[in-house]
Amino acid sequence: MASSQTLVQPVNLPIPRRQVNVARFLRTLLAAVIAGIFFLPILWWMLASFKPTQEILSVPPTLIGFEPTLNWYRVVLGNADPTSANLETTGSVGRGSGGSTFYSIPYLRDSLVVGIGSTILALLLATPAAYAMSRFPLRRRKDLAFWILSQRMMPPIVAAFPLFFMFRQLGWVDTYHGLILVHAAINAPLAVLLLMSFFDEVPRDLDDAAMVDGATRFGAFLNSLTLIRGGIVATAVLAFIFSWNEFLLSLVLTTGAIRTVPVASSTFTTAFATEWGYLAALGTASMVPIFVFILLVQRHLVRGLTLGAVK
Amino acid sequence: MADVEQIAARADQRAPTRRVQPVDHPARRRLTSDHAWLWLAPVILLLLFIGIYPFIYNIWNSFQEFNPMSGKVEPVGFENWQRLFQEMTQAGGRVRSALGTTAIYVSAALVIEFILGLSIAVLFNSGIWGSGFWQAVMILPMVVPPTVAAVMFKVLENPDYGALAYYLQSVGITDKVEPLLRGTGRFAIPAVLIPDVWQWTPFFVLILLAGLKALPTEPLEASRVDGATSWQTFCNVTLPMLRPMIAIAVLFRLVDLLKVFDYIYVLTSGGPGTRTEVISFYAYQRSFTTIEWGYGSVLGIVILVIAIVVATLFVRVFKVAW
Repeated sequence: MASSQTLVQPVNLPIPRRQVNVARFLRTLLAAVIAGIFFLPILWWMLASFKPTQEILSVPPTLIGFEPTLNWYRVVLGNADPTSANLETTGSVGRGSGGSTFYSIPYLRDSLVVGIGSTILALLLATPAAYAMSRFPLRRRKDLAFWILSQRMMPPIVAAFPLFFMFRQLGWVDTYHGLILVHAAINAPLAVLLLMSFFDEVPRDLDDAAMVDGATRFGAFLNSLTLIRGGIVATAVLAFIFSWNEFLLSLVLTTGAIRTVPVASSTFTTAFATEWGYLAALGTASMVPIFVFILLVQRHLVRGLTLGAVK
Repeated sequence: MADVEQIAARADQRAPTRRVQPVDHPARRRLTSDHAWLWLAPVILLLLFIGIYPFIYNIWNSFQEFNPMSGKVEPVGFENWQRLFQEMTQAGGRVRSALGTTAIYVSAALVIEFILGLSIAVLFNSGIWGSGFWQAVMILPMVVPPTVAAVMFKVLENPDYGALAYYLQSVGITDKVEPLLRGTGRFAIPAVLIPDVWQWTPFFVLILLAGLKALPTEPLEASRVDGATSWQTFCNVTLPMLRPMIAIAVLFRLVDLLKVFDYIYVLTSGGPGTRTEVISFYAYQRSFTTIEWGYGSVLGIVILVIAIVVATLFVRVFKVAW
């Protein structure tokens, strides 16, 4: 776009250079304000994790000039005793309730195990399928792609009760492998369609050449894998994030022995006295790593979010 | 420009892969002798487990009900379906009102997020400084876990100490009697829409921005040379060219909006009363709160049918191509 403007404007619109720059500056300022508004809730929540309760609950909110405390993190990440550490200084009133403690390393660990496990499983199963859909002469390729896409559209509440019942029968409630399987299934459509779009970009001739040279089909497949490394990483990051954020099925298929971060966050609020400081600390601890990952694969994000429809 | 060339180059690459292969070459023969279904089977099994099994189970389960007296699941014939029919046709029926709430929620969120997203994408594409950085900032809300976002806005919207509630009150939109959350629920739907708009407007920004950047520049220049105003160019040239991207973005948002659950669960639990009870939340309540498993299954089927019908219609009407 920038190049088109510099191409056309000098001919048609002889605007003085300074005036153009003022307009550009104002547009940039507006963009910065909008991006700022979208970032503000995150910033505020991160700051809240360092504030005593009375500061969190003061209106209008203070961005600076409060006395920072690490007490929320001491409990949430360090397993300090909430009653002794926080009662006077930060205003905590309880230990948590309903089998939910504020010590959140177990929740982060559960989320991490389920996220990594389901991402690996989804990729292991989806990569060969994506390769086959990209390479083999399938007669019903389009129908198959649409069926896979339609699985992505299914509302989780539809599967919640049948899976709950199945898990009870199999004794899979509160197990890692159960949740890993479910999250892998949720992410499989994403993985297949996205990886297919990456395989489509690898010239088919490379496979043929490898096989003429004596490689097996599987060897040619492994060879293509190395060529779409970036795509695989992007798929893995997105699958991990969707698992990390998934709420409804994690809620229904666990009773507390395993508890992912989104479920833990929701139990913190339903306790009789909501402990915003702990929630802010847990929220911040669960958001920041995700931010780093997503910015690393930003280049493929649009493609990932549309399952390969937009490249 | 570079994007357009890349797309053209990709289209060239992709074309031969769809063509029928000649069979005389040894490597070709090995290629066709591969069993595609062997490669596909694991994923298909996984999808059957979460896609087909629940559907079949729901149909079977819809003809029975858990009896709390005997503690057993008993066959009830078409009772659950009759109940669905009643709650859909009677004025004030829960299914009817939940479907209405869902329709309001989905359409309001779509319209707001689309208009905001398109405007921001156009702004970001207008040759501003550091557009890549602002775009990166806009990505962040999208990856916050929805429950965490809902909790954040639960504090921000709290009538007693929420910052957002405070500012809305000070400009006179809400007041002490009718705050965002609680009260009679006049603002309950806007209250649950706010985190949704905050998290998912960036989705439109990102996809429409990618679309804008990939547009060919010649038609835009031609329209400018012909003396069209920039508004005319936008409406008559940019928007029609952007249509496929808009269709895909709206489709993805639409199917996700039909699933909306997290914000409702954390922020209002469907209340006050049933003011914010969307159909997913109502089905959750029947299955897991009031333990009416059979009726929950009926509602699950209803939701699935709606999702399939809406998505299929959308794909047909807007000719979304894969």
